[in-house]
Amino acid sequence: MGGLEKKKYQRGSATNYITRNKARKKLQLSLPDFRRLCILKGIYPHEPRHKKKVNKGSTAARTFYLLKDIKFLLHEPIVNKFREYKIFVRKLRKAYGKSEWGTAERLKDNKPTYKLDHIVKERYPTFVDALRDLDDALSMCFLFSTFPRTGKCHVQTIQLCRRLAVEFLNYVIASRSLRKVFLSIKGIYYQAEVLGQPITWITPYAFAHDHPTDVDYRVMATFTEFYTTLLGFVNFRLYHSLNLHYPPKIDGQAEVEVKPAEGKEYAMDSESYLEKHKKLFEGLRFFLNREVPREPLAFVIRCFGGQVSWDKSLCIGATYDVSDPSITHQIVDRPRVEQQVVGRYYLQPQWVFDSVNAKLCLPVADYFPGVLLPPHLSPFVTEQEGDYIPPEKLKLLAMQRGEDPGEETEEEEEEEEEEEEDDNDKDEEEEEEDESEKEEEIKLKKMEEQKAQSNKALPVKVTAGKVRLEDKQRLEQEQQSEEKRLAIMMMKKREKYLYKKIMFGKKRKIREANKLAAKRKAHDTALKEEKKKTKKARRA
Amino acid sequence: MRGTGRGVYVGVNGRGRYAACKGGGAERHVALCVAGRLVGWGGGSVCTGWAVRTVRVLQPRGGAFPAFPIPETGSAYAVLPVRPSPHALPTAMAAVAESLSFLGLTPSARDPATAVRRRNRGPRNRKKGWKRWAGPEARLGREIGDFLEDVTLQQRVAGGLIAEQPDAGLFFVDTGNAEKGRKRKNKIREKPLHIDLVLQPDSKVPPPKDILSHQIPNGKKERRRRQFWERLAQRGVLPRAERRLQTRLQNAAAPPRGPPREKAPEKGRVDPGRSFYDIWADDNPLERALVGQDSWFLQQTQKQRVKRPPRLQQKPSQLPAVEVIAPGGSYNPTFEDHQALLLKAHEVEVMKKRAEDKVERQLRFPTAAEAPTAETVFREQCEGLLEESEGEEEEEEEQKEEAVGGAQPSDPPRPPLRPGKKTEQQRRKEKEARAQELRRRQEKAWRCRQQQLFRLRSLGRQLRRWEQELLRRRRAREAKRREMEGRPRRLGRIKYEDPALEVQLSDELAESLRTLKPEGSVLHDRFKSLQKRSLIEPRERAKFKRKYRLKYVEKRAFREVTL
Repeated sequence: MGGLEKKKYQRGSATNYITRNKARKKLQLSLPDFRRLCILKGIYPHEPRHKKKVNKGSTAARTFYLLKDIKFLLHEPIVNKFREYKIFVRKLRKAYGKSEWGTAERLKDNKPTYKLDHIVKERYPTFVDALRDLDDALSMCFLFSTFPRTGKCHVQTIQLCRRLAVEFLNYVIASRSLRKVFLSIKGIYYQAEVLGQPITWITPYAFAHDHPTDVDYRVMATFTEFYTTLLGFVNFRLYHSLNLHYPPKIDGQAEVEVKPAEGKEYAMDSESYLEKHKKLFEGLRFFLNREVPREPLAFVIRCFGGQVSWDKSLCIGATYDVSDPSITHQIVDRPRVEQQVVGRYYLQPQWVFDSVNAKLCLPVADYFPGVLLPPHLSPFVTEQEGDYIPPEKLKLLAMQRGEDPGEETEEEEEEEEEEEEDDNDKDEEEEEEDESEKEEEIKLKKMEEQKAQSNKALPVKVTAGKVRLEDKQRLEQEQQSEEKRLAIMMMKKREKYLYKKIMFGKKRKIREANKLAAKRKAHDTALKEEKKKTKKARRA
Repeated sequence: MRGTGRGVYVGVNGRGRYAACKGGGAERHVALCVAGRLVGWGGGSVCTGWAVRTVRVLQPRGGAFPAFPIPETGSAYAVLPVRPSPHALPTAMAAVAESLSFLGLTPSARDPATAVRRRNRGPRNRKKGWKRWAGPEARLGREIGDFLEDVTLQQRVAGGLIAEQPDAGLFFVDTGNAEKGRKRKNKIREKPLHIDLVLQPDSKVPPPKDILSHQIPNGKKERRRRQFWERLAQRGVLPRAERRLQTRLQNAAAPPRGPPREKAPEKGRVDPGRSFYDIWADDNPLERALVGQDSWFLQQTQKQRVKRPPRLQQKPSQLPAVEVIAPGGSYNPTFEDHQALLLKAHEVEVMKKRAEDKVERQLRFPTAAEAPTAETVFREQCEGLLEESEGEEEEEEEQKEEAVGGAQPSDPPRPPLRPGKKTEQQRRKEKEARAQELRRRQEKAWRCRQQQLFRLRSLGRQLRRWEQELLRRRRAREAKRREMEGRPRRLGRIKYEDPALEVQLSDELAESLRTLKPEGSVLHDRFKSLQKRSLIEPRERAKFKRKYRLKYVEKRAFREVTL
């Protein structure tokens, strides 16, 4: 055997990777500094495909980095700044130890600092790249801006986060780009469409802080440090895209609405539908009671063109008083309101959010104070065909289509009224209810049939008066189904098998949806019964 | 010197000669004074280099100066210093007398003119001989210098000659301790500050009152220059130093404009008032310095930043940064959504419970039936021992057998299992058998191959099946990889664990937004999201390890109380 002896782990994947500790030593940094550097530069650990080879025969779990990444890090000027900072800290500690206050002052004056501007440019070569990564930045900034100033992180960071977050909100208001809001038990989710990019972020509720102990605050602060820089530059660019002056004047914590440049229309939003959505609250004047979350509500209302104010003693930025007669909606979150003013709606805050998600001003009756609210649906869910759609959503969809779902509600109301009027006609009512249930059942069956027959959810409208039309449609349907059957017959065996499988899956889905619907109905009826009972009890 | 008088009349010759001579050369007059009175005039010097100094007689206080005969005009006088003597008047008198004798007033006096004329010529071949200041003249000159220095010192320090001071200026009468002590106290109180003392004028000689312009060094030149600048100032031109001073004053008066403003410390990256700029514009401050420069120059001077490799633009995970909670997590969810979320949470709990139960089952204390009795314990203890004894017996037996079998002690030690040597015949037969076997196999293979010709179709089917199998495997691999990509990577010692689902039970659900109790923490959610996307490796908090164990000591007082 000629040639040189080939040694193990000297070529291949073993040489492409480097362990974290070795990387740290190569860069001459301490572990926290190394971690900080990696986060700032966007270098993440890598999981090798063959761990045993990379780990030189050992199977111990380790953190690996790509060697090329670490070599890239070697060129970073910030590395030197980290070292300088380390030396600075050492000198300062020494000066303090020796009680040399003058030296300490001098050292503090010359504290080494660094900036992350070049890293932002390097990681996001174009503005769109930065926009794509804005979700994280926004969530982090909103989160940090709500932190108490108790030394968990630097006060300056909190202030900067607050400033940037408010600036971004102002941009969203000015550009009317908010699309969705979702109040969850964790926090509030928002989605805005900025320059065609959907941007989602989460903000915590105010005063909802218990500081979890299993979170590495240093890591989070490092991420925030980078994201504040990023968000600042993005804000600058966004403001300039609206022809606004960038550092907007904001007094204190109040958001002062920034008016977009006069006479400027956005060519982007030519769709009338979108335009309509954007002007949802235009012309409405809201007043927020002090018990409702002021900031999210004010933001959302302003995003859709509404005017909003609150009590003067609550926060600065109040533009009009409660007694203002031009107020159209007052947002209230208490069981009953004394001294109601005529000429305005008293509504629970959910109405604002639901209206935004439904893209239309919902009927106010469901949202009066003290009324049991309809559920708050998540706007982030998009139902596939055949999925179960809760009746609330169905109603909403109907409203969006422009149909009037008022009949059902009226019926229900009538029922309720009747109930209240006389308990004696119980049997009749039950019959009525039975009838209505039957109707519903028939409807459900129909739906099921339709779903089973057609893959595409055809917008089938059934109108009572037009018999001919129905016939035509039925003929069409029959023809279609015939064609389909023929097509199925002509399929190859394998394809047919696949087709059958798909169809089976769909049927199963529909079956499940139906089951859910039935469950829901049972739940509703149970509720109704209970209500009745309580009412009776009250009467008795 | 104190209290003594001496008379010195100085005509100091630059060469160390002394004389006040009459006649010869340029006519100069030397005043001869005794006790401030002009005694007479001396004649001019013979040679150049004469300097006339104050001529004085220091008169001892209280003592009367002897009558000094006024010299006749025209007679020559030589002036000599008197050697200082510490003694009182008589010696002084003697000294005066001596000086008088030297002055030639006594009969033994020498004629100084003759002395001047005589040249003191030593050997000039050595450097010492060239010295000018040798000889008695030099000594005289030095002494005069010392004397003059002493005089100026006295003037500086005492404001005049000490010998001329009145008694009260020199002495005081010691009258007792009491006053002295009081005075000292006062003195301490009145003691001036050191700084004042330092700033006192050093000399007691008053400064000259009126100095003539010619007495000022470079006076004329300075005056001319002053006049020149005055003329320029009228035209509005100022000297450079003045101009700089004025600009500095102006800068101090108006700090906001000018270069120091630009040098104001830049606001740090976390300063809430920091400014931003358009970093994605073509002309951004970040790259303005590098625009238009030669790329080779930039590269060599390390001013150009290293290009980020495109591999790093891909994120490790394609998961969205903000995962929206399931619809059941709404603060006011629909019944079904909430049930679905509850079901999910329930499943998680069930899994956890199962794992817990498993551990518990394995660690459970055995029931009475399974519990060890004394018998089982004894058996367990004896377990290894009994077997071992059996083994030993066997071994012993084996040894015995070997001893029986090995009857031929003459046999050399050889491997016991090796068979006897094969005969030639055996070898041949084996070889033939091998060859035959080979032939048989080849034939079989050939036959098989021929047969395969007839089962081409089935072979093709087989091949296709195999290919399909490979394809299936490849697809499965890819699917698995895709699935793994969605999952968080294993980046360290600790595996990623999903955070607990945020769920509110049906009775915990809020009636209205006001009464909502938020569940979970956004901070925790963000942190876990970063881990899930493999941006950071999951870690656990560093445990605090104590180097030495704590030692607990009961305090004595406490112990006493408890006892």
